[in-house]
Amino acid sequence: MAVAEVELAQVARRARVDWAPYLLVLPTLAFLAVFFVYPMAQAIGLAISDQQTGAWTLANFRRMAGDLYFAPAVRYSILIAAFAVPLQVALGLVIALLVNSRFPGHSAFLYLTAIPIGISDLAAGLIWLSIFTERGYLNAFLQAAGAVTEPIIFLTFEHRSWLVAAIVITEVWRATAIVMLILLSGLQLIPKDYHETASVFGAGRWRTLWHVTLPLLRPSLQTALIIRTILAFQVFATVITLTGRQIPVLAGEAYFWYTLYRSPNVASSYAAIILVLSAAITLGYLRLLRQRELEMAA
Amino acid sequence: MLLRILAAAVGFILLAGVGGAYTAPAQEIIFTSNQFSPVEEQEWARNTLFARFTQETNVGVRFINETEGPYVDRLVAEAKAGRGTIDVTGGLHGIFPIFLAENVIRDMKSVQASLDGRKDRTFYKDLLAVSKFGDVQAFIPWMQATYLIVAHRSAMQYFPRGRNPMRMTYEDLLEWGQNIRQATGQRRVGFPVGPLGLYPRFLHGYIYPSWTGFQVKGFKSAQAVEMWQYLRRLWGVTHPSSFTYEIMSEPLLRGEVLVAWDHVARILPALRQRPNDFVVLPSPAGPRGRSFISVVVGLSIPRLAPNPELAARFIEYMTRPATQVVTLQGVGFFPVSPQASREVPAGGLKVMADGVNEQGDAPDARTALLPIGLGARTGEFQPIYRDTFQLIAIEGRNIQEVLNAQARKLEDLYRAMNAVCPPPDPAVRPCKPD
Repeated sequence: MAVAEVELAQVARRARVDWAPYLLVLPTLAFLAVFFVYPMAQAIGLAISDQQTGAWTLANFRRMAGDLYFAPAVRYSILIAAFAVPLQVALGLVIALLVNSRFPGHSAFLYLTAIPIGISDLAAGLIWLSIFTERGYLNAFLQAAGAVTEPIIFLTFEHRSWLVAAIVITEVWRATAIVMLILLSGLQLIPKDYHETASVFGAGRWRTLWHVTLPLLRPSLQTALIIRTILAFQVFATVITLTGRQIPVLAGEAYFWYTLYRSPNVASSYAAIILVLSAAITLGYLRLLRQRELEMAA
Repeated sequence: MLLRILAAAVGFILLAGVGGAYTAPAQEIIFTSNQFSPVEEQEWARNTLFARFTQETNVGVRFINETEGPYVDRLVAEAKAGRGTIDVTGGLHGIFPIFLAENVIRDMKSVQASLDGRKDRTFYKDLLAVSKFGDVQAFIPWMQATYLIVAHRSAMQYFPRGRNPMRMTYEDLLEWGQNIRQATGQRRVGFPVGPLGLYPRFLHGYIYPSWTGFQVKGFKSAQAVEMWQYLRRLWGVTHPSSFTYEIMSEPLLRGEVLVAWDHVARILPALRQRPNDFVVLPSPAGPRGRSFISVVVGLSIPRLAPNPELAARFIEYMTRPATQVVTLQGVGFFPVSPQASREVPAGGLKVMADGVNEQGDAPDARTALLPIGLGARTGEFQPIYRDTFQLIAIEGRNIQEVLNAQARKLEDLYRAMNAVCPPPDPAVRPCKPD
């Protein structure tokens, strides 16, 4: 009798332990399946099927690769990410360290620097367009300061590097804040004891930063890097606003193939390329992280 | 507790007040369009154009504006699903072949017949002609538009001496741009070359027929090579930020650009804000005449519309001469009936209307229509011209080689869809560049 009761309780406990977590993740899984996995499968299906007949084909990828804007779009997408992401992470880290030092007025400063998070990428593009255009704020300022007599045309197809610089500046302005918030929350998770111990052993600020803070911040840095890199490949509203199509990017091309050319299939091919690139870079980051952990363990 | 009751009471009074002021119309129709995309135009359409219809009939109008892709997809998806929610739709005449191919819309002959029965309106014959595809009338003409040159009054002093701006040629335009550049040190001619700008229309409907006589047929001809050489020179006096421009009224108002070419609806905001600062001129003439595009927008009732009778009443209201004048005043689209054209009052719009008339009445005028019959691949037509421009004018590639390669794409497109050449080209099927 008593034995049977114990057994029953064990069975009940085992059943509860087995099913509860699955029930709890079920809504998330269902959400992901409906709004992420299903559209993704559908997009890949579109990318490898003919627009008219629906038969399987690689023609969409051939059309994409043969397009005038494909090679520049790959090049510029990688270039913009390569310039913008390190700048965002470096700048975000500096601001996060500054805020974490809790100087007087640091919370007002935090809110001020976090404002761009609330601004959509299109609005950010328009703000910077009104700065960089020939009759924009930057030229007005330069003229008022007496630095130039005639306005400089910053946004010109004759200087593609200026166009890329304008995009990178806008992206850094727009997305540094989110990196800063991720890193700040990471910094606040580091127990004070480590820093106190470091100072007891006579480590200066730089040594503490380099040998204590940054290694402990690595998980947050990885998160920020992965999120920013993936989002950098999805950027297009700021790019189109500032440079039209003179600086083509992958997400922008997907948009144009869908809206201008009315070809959801080729647009999906672009989406597939973005997916592959993002997945590859995320895997790269994760692998890099694991190697570092192994080094540290050794 | 007292506070909570008070708050509830105040909330209730507010709600009741709002409810009292707003009486919902008894019925509602859904109207979709890819026109009126600027937010100001949508607001105006809801508050003025449709509100008057609701006042008169007590039928509400729910207006859904979308860009061309989703706009077409929604209608086609409803037709495929066999369940319609859209009562009436308005689009460019070039979209209707897609709707006919996908069996989305009704034959509008009976609606047209009842409109013809009214004594207050007739429709321009050429507009009625383009509304018919075979023996089906796909739409009732709703509005029409074109593209023109607008210039700052201050720029007129640089116009080539001894030349008539109302009979401008492409050489005049280039010289004008050069004069401005010399005088002001900057390139001040502007075109809407931005990704969603309408510059491809300039290429296939204006400069191509003006130089070669055709939109498609002369694509890689010797005249086309000359034309592209000219365009390179014109690009040399064009503002280098032109690739960011999508609506030319903006750089015109900022003063970045002194001479611009664009769709009437996209230059109207400048004329409205400063009617005395701008002049409207006809598009230039080339060796083969003064070609311009006549844009026709039509209204149609989907096959599965839940309220086709209300939709027909809505179409009657929208094509009424008084409504047509209000539409011109609101968004700068011109009337489709001569009765309405006669009622246009003086003002900034008159400046525009005169420009439109000068363009249409010019002795060397030739009308180009938007390409039709490309079905689901309609969207591929303009990019061929846009890419050709990018390759030749911006990247400086060899003109004849680029033209040969792009002409092959044009030929493939027309052969695949077995489509006819758009006027002024001869009606060859499938259309083919020589």
